Amino acid sequence: MADRRNGAQSPEEQVRALYEEAESNTAKAFEAMVNKPSFGRLLALSAENTAAMTRMGFDAVDLLWRNLRLAGRADIVRLSRQLHRTEDKLERVLQEVESLRDEIARERDPEGARS
Amino acid sequence: MSVADPFVGAVDRAMQFPVNALEFTNILLTTDDALIGATPKDVVWTHRGTTLYRYQSANRRYRVPVLLVFALINRPEIFDLRPGSSLVEYLVEEGFDVFLVDWGYPDEEDSEMGLDEYVCDDLAWAVRETLRASGSDELSLMGWCIGATLCAMYCGLEGERPPVRNLALLTMPIDGRRSTYANWLGDESFDVEATSRLWGSVPGAAIDFANKMMKPVTNYWTTYRRLWEGVQGGTARRDAYQTMAKWVADNPPFAGRAWSQWIELMYRDAGLPRGTVRLRDRSVDLGRIDQSVLVISASADHIAPRPGTMPFFDLIASEDVEHFDRPGGHIGLIAGSAARKELWPSMAEWLAERSDG
Repeated sequence: MADRRNGAQSPEEQVRALYEEAESNTAKAFEAMVNKPSFGRLLALSAENTAAMTRMGFDAVDLLWRNLRLAGRADIVRLSRQLHRTEDKLERVLQEVESLRDEIARERDPEGARS
Repeated sequence: MSVADPFVGAVDRAMQFPVNALEFTNILLTTDDALIGATPKDVVWTHRGTTLYRYQSANRRYRVPVLLVFALINRPEIFDLRPGSSLVEYLVEEGFDVFLVDWGYPDEEDSEMGLDEYVCDDLAWAVRETLRASGSDELSLMGWCIGATLCAMYCGLEGERPPVRNLALLTMPIDGRRSTYANWLGDESFDVEATSRLWGSVPGAAIDFANKMMKPVTNYWTTYRRLWEGVQGGTARRDAYQTMAKWVADNPPFAGRAWSQWIELMYRDAGLPRGTVRLRDRSVDLGRIDQSVLVISASADHIAPRPGTMPFFDLIASEDVEHFDRPGGHIGLIAGSAARKELWPSMAEWLAERSDG
């Protein structure tokens, strides 16, 4: 009891402090490990392989779908891209229309446009 | 202290264990129900997956609106995490007319979206729509992480000077060659373009995994251990944990072409400090930035370490430059519980002085 009053740690607190120190050291060791280029190489190879396998999986399922005369992912992506192109053009036209409208408004009411 | 006390304590903890375990699992399992991005907003403009939102202030005091731009990874709700801990809410209360660009969830059909599309189209158009909606001639751009780099690139684009009066850049990477990412991605043997082509858009889960692997023990263990201790001690803040955990887990894919361009310019080339970046045949020269600039860096930022931001100051032409360098991490500094008292007032004050109040 006297020890506790003098600021000494209880066994439970000592265990906790030891644990936190161990966790902190482990965290630092892991951070040092992942910071190495060799770990980066491992990660990069895993990313390349995962990407390739994902693509192969998608392509295989797509082939099956298309042979069943159903729209596959590739068809939907193609269609979405076409929609995007149309939306891009529409956006540019809309901006032209808006700027022309603003220009006309300024010509009609120069005072209002300045305020 | 009697001899029986330790035993009483142990029995008490044993009795409490199932209750704590249930609460701990309940917090984890109901994280998806947490409400984030709750401040009322209106959709001003949409293009492809991009949406521009407006958070109207009931007591608008500043003529110059603020446009918030977040990174291409994770979601912009971090600007509006939860009531009482939302930068958007704070700025609106301060009297700013706040807008936010949401890049959406790019998918395979967006794989050809590059940084040029983000900067020259979507960001430029969001600026245009912000000005039209707010009735102002100029705005303040506030970017965070990759969003800050996109804002800087937009202001450094060759051609007509952008209608940006103030540029606030939060934890912004400019030269990432000394970061952990560079150790991972800097090796030329990693064919970034082929990988992005195979993937179309890089899955959010892969980006999230890479980000978490930078501090694996902290992200995969310590976070949960601290939550458990909080539950045991009765100090766990369910709303704070769940909103942040929900935000962290929401990972949109990274458009493939933009991803490979980003790696090239940030971790291999250092194209921005060297002035070699070109978007749509327009050079990006940060020396063209002459706006009032606020840069915020975090001392413990492992995603965009401070040394990677510092070259920015030598490149820009602005005369009005302020740098807040504060203790904290990449996200915690600006979205953490202390930010409302410590950082946001300084940010709002900086903006207010330059926003025609």
